[in-house]
Amino acid sequence: MKKLAVFTLAVLVLVSAALFFPTSLAAHDVNECFKNHQDCRENALNLDAPWYKVMIILTVCDFALGKCALAL
Amino acid sequence: MRRERSLIMAVIVVSLTVFAAARAADRPGVGKWKVVEVAVPANDADEAYLGRPIALALDADHLYIVDAQDCAVKIFSKDGEFLRAVGRKGRGPGELSFPSGVSVIGGRLYVADKFNYRVQAFDRAGKPCGGFSVPFAPDKAWALTGETLLVTSNPTGRPTAEKMLHIYDVGGRLRWEGLEAQASSDPVFDAFRNMILVCPGEGGDFFVVFRSGERSILHFAGSGALVGKIPVDERHAFQPMDLPFQGLRKRLLGFCWAAAWDRGFFYISAPAPVEGKDLGPGRFLSVVDREGCLTASIELPCPVHRFVVEGGRIYAVDDDGGLRIFEVVR
Repeated sequence: MKKLAVFTLAVLVLVSAALFFPTSLAAHDVNECFKNHQDCRENALNLDAPWYKVMIILTVCDFALGKCALAL
Repeated sequence: MRRERSLIMAVIVVSLTVFAAARAADRPGVGKWKVVEVAVPANDADEAYLGRPIALALDADHLYIVDAQDCAVKIFSKDGEFLRAVGRKGRGPGELSFPSGVSVIGGRLYVADKFNYRVQAFDRAGKPCGGFSVPFAPDKAWALTGETLLVTSNPTGRPTAEKMLHIYDVGGRLRWEGLEAQASSDPVFDAFRNMILVCPGEGGDFFVVFRSGERSILHFAGSGALVGKIPVDERHAFQPMDLPFQGLRKRLLGFCWAAAWDRGFFYISAPAPVEGKDLGPGRFLSVVDREGCLTASIELPCPVHRFVVEGGRIYAVDDDGGLRIFEVVR
């Protein structure tokens, strides 16, 4: 049950990021994508949150970078 | 034949047991130090509120706490009374964008101004008095001497050789770079492996503590030369954590949530299990000497995220971002 809840939450976070991550809407400049990716990582690493949460946010940052770089 | 073999096995087992017992007896005992909490004044002013406290520093009279949310350094007395704030959000002189580190020396406050890609200096009155730009987002800035600053950076996650430690003079000239980040095809796992904490030591020396996967503390001279590795007593145990997502599943060995150095001792907080699988801040501090031997353990009344130690006092930030002050009783 707990596993399912964690999985569902992770999927929701990833889908939300894919749909709403602001950089991907307009940015096609790959350098800008990398800069946003770095800011995203810095925010995650400075969250001082438990590591699972940090790991999920870092993963979202990587997805967002891919989405931005591919101009999706 | 079988009897002889059993006899040999018994001798080996007994020898090993005696050897292990003798080694354990050689090690000094671990003290259990208690703490008494010092009441912190209410600090009702809006400015005193700590939204996202992420770094602390001390000088002779004051405690400095970086609040990344308010883009300010908040200055408190050593008794926890709020005095004033330095900096506000922006890109101009004296303005900050995600400050993430602070250090004070000779009345000068150095702030790692992360998203402005610079280190800013402030005088005692809180006025900007210099600084310099850096080609990366600075994470922490430590004044090693009145002339040199150690600036740390988090790797970007790109598969290139990136250095995490940078020594500048106060004029912004790069003197040394080192400690290459570990890089693989898994940038998330690498991010954890490359999480480091810096503890400034005496005479410009500094120590680097890895938050996971490595139990040796690196000792650097102020020039950047690696002086040695300090293997920490295994009684300060790793806390394992499995990363999720099958296929990428890897095990992290949590070593340290936060660390401080004071008067020849490291204070290392062990990460603690949170809700079964996760690791978060803990409430136990290991006191480790400069040879890496565990000399005492301190149990705090609550988990702490960041802390600094001076003499017998621990200044810490708790789960709610509140300032807590503890007096250590040996």
